[in-house]
Amino acid sequence: MPLSQVSTFLTAAFLAAGVAASAQAASVLTVGMTAGDIPVTTGNPDQGFEGFRFVGYNLYDALALWDLSSFDKPSDIKPGLATSWEIDPNNKRRWIFHLRQGVKFHDGCAFTADDVVWNMARVTDSKAPQYFTQQMALSRAYTTNFESIEKIDDYTVAINTKVVESIFPYSMSYILMISRCKAEALKYDWNAYANDPSGTGPYRFSRMVPHERLELLPNKDYWDPKRVPKQDKLVLLPMPEAATRAAALMTGQVNFIEAPSPDTIPRLKAAGMQIITNTYPHNWPFILNFVKGPMTDVRVRRAANYALNRAEFVELLNGLAIESYATMPPTSPWYGHPVRYEYNVEKAKALLKEAGCLPCKLTLAISTSGSGQMQPLPMNELLKSQLEAAGFQIDFKVMDWNSLIEIARSGVPKYPDIDGYNGSRALLDPMSALIKPVWKFHWSPAGANWGHFEDPEAEDLVAKILNEFDAGKRTQLLIKLNELHADRALMIFVVHDVNPRALSPKLKGFVQAQNWFQDLTPIEVMP
Amino acid sequence: MINLFLRRLMYAVPIAFGVSVVCFSLVYLAPGDPLQTILPSDASADTIAMVKAAYGFDKPLPIQFLKWLGRVMVGDFGQSIATRRPVVLEVTGALYNTSVLALFAVPIAFSTGFSMGAIAGCFPGKWIDRVLTGSAVLGVSLPNYWFGIVLVIFFAVEAMVLPATGMGANGSDQFNFLRWSDARYLVLPVITLSMVPIGIIARTTRAAVAEVMNQDFVITLRAKGLSETAVIRHVLKNALPQVLAVMGLQFGYLMGGSILVETVFTWPGSGFLLSKAIINRDVPVLQGTILMLALIFVATNLLVDLMQSWIDPRIRRT
Amino acid sequence: MSNAMTLPQHPAKEQAAPKQRGYWGSVLYRLRYDPVTVFFGCVVLAIILAAIFAPVLAPFDPYKESIIGRLKPMGWKGHLLGTDELGRDLLSRLLYGGQVSLLMGVVPVAIATVIGGTLGVIGGFGGRRVNTAIMRTMDVFYAFPSVLLAVAISGAMGGGAANGMIALSMVFTPAMCRVAETATAQVKNLDFVEAARATGAGTLTILRYHILGNVLGPVFIYASSLVSVGILLASGLSFLGLGVKPPTADWGLMLSTLRQSIYINPAICALPGVAILIASVSFNLLSDGIRSAMDVRL
Repeated sequence: MPLSQVSTFLTAAFLAAGVAASAQAASVLTVGMTAGDIPVTTGNPDQGFEGFRFVGYNLYDALALWDLSSFDKPSDIKPGLATSWEIDPNNKRRWIFHLRQGVKFHDGCAFTADDVVWNMARVTDSKAPQYFTQQMALSRAYTTNFESIEKIDDYTVAINTKVVESIFPYSMSYILMISRCKAEALKYDWNAYANDPSGTGPYRFSRMVPHERLELLPNKDYWDPKRVPKQDKLVLLPMPEAATRAAALMTGQVNFIEAPSPDTIPRLKAAGMQIITNTYPHNWPFILNFVKGPMTDVRVRRAANYALNRAEFVELLNGLAIESYATMPPTSPWYGHPVRYEYNVEKAKALLKEAGCLPCKLTLAISTSGSGQMQPLPMNELLKSQLEAAGFQIDFKVMDWNSLIEIARSGVPKYPDIDGYNGSRALLDPMSALIKPVWKFHWSPAGANWGHFEDPEAEDLVAKILNEFDAGKRTQLLIKLNELHADRALMIFVVHDVNPRALSPKLKGFVQAQNWFQDLTPIEVMP
Repeated sequence: MINLFLRRLMYAVPIAFGVSVVCFSLVYLAPGDPLQTILPSDASADTIAMVKAAYGFDKPLPIQFLKWLGRVMVGDFGQSIATRRPVVLEVTGALYNTSVLALFAVPIAFSTGFSMGAIAGCFPGKWIDRVLTGSAVLGVSLPNYWFGIVLVIFFAVEAMVLPATGMGANGSDQFNFLRWSDARYLVLPVITLSMVPIGIIARTTRAAVAEVMNQDFVITLRAKGLSETAVIRHVLKNALPQVLAVMGLQFGYLMGGSILVETVFTWPGSGFLLSKAIINRDVPVLQGTILMLALIFVATNLLVDLMQSWIDPRIRRT
Repeated sequence: MSNAMTLPQHPAKEQAAPKQRGYWGSVLYRLRYDPVTVFFGCVVLAIILAAIFAPVLAPFDPYKESIIGRLKPMGWKGHLLGTDELGRDLLSRLLYGGQVSLLMGVVPVAIATVIGGTLGVIGGFGGRRVNTAIMRTMDVFYAFPSVLLAVAISGAMGGGAANGMIALSMVFTPAMCRVAETATAQVKNLDFVEAARATGAGTLTILRYHILGNVLGPVFIYASSLVSVGILLASGLSFLGLGVKPPTADWGLMLSTLRQSIYINPAICALPGVAILIASVSFNLLSDGIRSAMDVRL
């Protein structure tokens, strides 16, 4: 039965009622997110970086913000609620932040140094009345080096860190500033606050239907006039399934979707949708065990990297990926000239033979889905067939996303028999991108060095980076660290995602930055 | 009647208690940490311990149960771990949304199923009986989650005339089924949900009608010279109580068992809430949803039971 | 199927002379004249054989994927039913998928039959206290809608095929127990059991000869009607991600993963559901036919 005929008939039958009713109101930007639920609105959002992207950075600002205005330049942090910052010349652990004047929260209260001090206590000081466990947990990764804060004057604060860290301001880009007035008016009832949040961001809260939709309105008085939203309304819908998002875009329920699956893209293009991709600091590797098993031998790790034909992965994803040979993507300022493990099965086999591991049995943990995990099952089946062609024997432990997170969080001490796990990585700031995976200070379960990698050269480089306050010189050191990652075959490098999005042809003005976060404010919705 | 009511109620109370024990213990079958989802993936051990204590998960199980039961008795099901909203609000909202589906699906299923079964029962052995009974079997055996996908393929993907998912153009809180722009969201899920009950009701009706047809009084009626339509009216009237009882149970099933269909259509009902709670390991929501749904099911059964004995006094005696 | 539809169950009516044939003989006789049941019995047999002999029948390796051959239409390069989202042969996967799907549908029914049936007989034959203890416990589980209970248990246990089967067994056991208990209680008070007791037969003997003989029929019939439900529920669990884990071939799971591809090849995405439907309809009709042939009312 030809579906097209049936559909022609159905279209005719339903045309009057259906299509007319599905037309969107003129200037509403409706986003289908990949998140399973609406990110929390009480400050730092959950749902990973997608929560920051759509809720966190829209309702709120941080002292430092990400520059999301360029398509071709890798994005870096820029002044946000702080106009500038510098290290205290007499104390390398004391940062001075100069705050922006004249900024108002959505509730009308002015933003001052007291708000910054109050917000830091909210996520770090369990004795403060505004302390909130959930927010503590969601900010913890960025407050590990925070020691104390002091107000210098109404528009200047000083933050003391526990250890010297030249890249500390990056951490402050993840601590969102919520309104003290509002929280006090609501007597720290965070449920009430969640339904009536107040920030300084380009959008203000309008309405929330739990689990279904969050509606935001433009903040016409936003302190950065260039970023006053050009739509009448922004609606965010959680749609974890790719097919659902595609169907919603096609039927006009939404006009902007995250991560359409590669398979749906031809169909979406045929329907006139704009498909937008760009490189961004993401990679999809296997994070390895350096304590036990074959991966402790660098020759085996290199063999695994030589065994991969990355072009096939790109083909599997309909071109929506970039081959990965190092931690950072090639467009990153910290890329440098890492060794390239070009596809070479013979070399892989030779290395395995040399290492005395043939066939080389690996137990790898993979997830069935998850944020940033791309298409984990098909990709891992391809990975398995390629590795096995080079003399490996792969035993996959397939699990849901939460179980994989549990493995990722606990580290090798609890899972010594897992030789590696497939976890996508966000490479926004140098700390999480390059330092944590090699630094002994971050050994799991306390930190993010999952496999307990240890290397004197790496330790030395990290120490130099954290003490280097000259940005240019620091970049050189970071390049060296990226090259070291590649040389030691720190991970099995596979691909970088290109962050595909599909937009209705009626949307104009979206610039996809090379970032996990995106700026929705310039988008115009044509009638 | 009041006596009967009390007797049945006395019987339902221990069941309700048993149900609460099952609901509570179910959740502790779960491997892994219920707090996993709210913590970032690189949260350290001390962070986890701090959060655990804050949520009360560090207490021994029996204490957690008694505390939980005590709170449940006064209608406090705790707070969702993921959203921090009171579970009662989460569940009642979702139940309302599910009941919207059920309230449309049940009349459709009843009218269609009853007509099918009645026609089939009146013509036993005829081709129309065969066709209708065959369709009923198809309905009963239908994987409705698959059927929902097929409908989505035809009406949303190919023809693009009906929305594939969601509840209304502006969210469930502003859902108004009198407005076509909202009501169109109902069409596919309601059709999908009705299929199985149609099959079940048609089969029950057919069996009941066929049984009544064989009873002596029908022969008497015919002998008295009543017209065939009048005979059939009598027959249907006699078969009705049994069918109504089955329909009542189907309503209970639809309230609690539409998890698959709600997942297919992302309908923000109880089943959808439940599957979300399972994915998120949101323990309080999981417990609260299952408990409320099971209690509704117990209550529906009780109601059906009472209504049946009210309509048909013969049952009361047994 | 129209000719199969025209034959009513007249043979069942004229079984006035069962003396030569005996009970099972007359059941078989009635079945022979019920072509619908015979037909669907053959379909069930074919499904089971296809699953068992999947390794022989499958034209391709069900786990061999191909990047270029993804989601190809039916008949593409010898792939009779096309390929799935990883380029694996769909026909082969449907055949292999039958193994898991049938197993996940049948095993819980078998477990429930043994456990529930035993408990039911004990409850029906034992004293009041035993009966109350068993039946009231069962009532608690009976108070959950079946889908809800299955999802709740397997979801709580973290999914997986084994947990799914445990969950389904727990769903079916109370119903099975009720059927067995009712049948036992009915038989217990019949004259011939009383007579046996009067002649001094021991409890075990009565249980073995009289009660089991008369309880097995209804239990078997009820179990056969549960198989269809079992297949539907098991596939439903896999569909929700609570059953079999990928890459294992299973109808429900295949439906769930192929669902993401309804834009590329909708016909193929619908196939696993068709397999579930055919299996479930066939088991249902077969069970119906056997029930009327055995003349058992539940």
